[in-house]
Amino acid sequence: MTTTQPDAVVELCIPARPEYVGVARLAILGVASRMRFSYDEVEDIRLAVGEACTSVLDRAEGQAETEPIRIRCLIHSDRLLVEVRDTIPLPEKAPPAEGEPGLDDFQLGGVLIRILMDEVSSEEERETGAHLVRMLKYVAR
Amino acid sequence: MNLRVETQTPQDGVAVVALSGEVDVYTSPRVKQEIVDLLNRGLTRIIVDTTKVEYLDSTGLGVLIGGLKRARERDGDLRLICNNPRILRIFEITGLTKIFDIHSSEAEALEAVR
Repeated sequence: MTTTQPDAVVELCIPARPEYVGVARLAILGVASRMRFSYDEVEDIRLAVGEACTSVLDRAEGQAETEPIRIRCLIHSDRLLVEVRDTIPLPEKAPPAEGEPGLDDFQLGGVLIRILMDEVSSEEERETGAHLVRMLKYVAR
Repeated sequence: MNLRVETQTPQDGVAVVALSGEVDVYTSPRVKQEIVDLLNRGLTRIIVDTTKVEYLDSTGLGVLIGGLKRARERDGDLRLICNNPRILRIFEITGLTKIFDIHSSEAEALEAVR
């Protein structure tokens, strides 16, 4: 994914609880609606971000107290990059397939994210143990 | 709460569950509970009306898939009414149009379960 400076950054922090995923969706709807995306593209981004947050909740289930989910929108003239970051441990399982680290964890939600967004990547930050999903959508030329 | 769940029983053994609003990780447990309750009451032919659903995510899809599985285990069925292109697209891109019988109206769905 490209690394040039964004024109604007919008950040949101929500509790890792089901009732707040709708808040993240509303925020991303506002951000994407300000860009030159079509109605369908805005809806795609909204669903993808909702799915990324929901996948965090799946991992947070059963844990007493968890750190919030941080959503960061990097707005460029030609694209929107959304980062969803959390510090909830990944489940112990076989190493993910090469090239798409961690994406198997999403299952159906992950399928949706990959279809709806143009580029998706996932990584674990070694120092902090945080899990980061990056989703990119290009504005149609 | 951003979801309304209203159920009617227009035919013997048939329940129509009309959903209005958002079906997501927060609200989908209510849909699951409604389907489980209906099956436990012997209403094994279920029609879920998504006409007024404004948002549907993977947890909502999971509840519908689970409902279909449970209904079929009891020789029943779970069908959908969907005429919202946005919601229909979610079923299409996930390949679930091959699993669910999807109707464009309640009349059509009721005719199919006769």
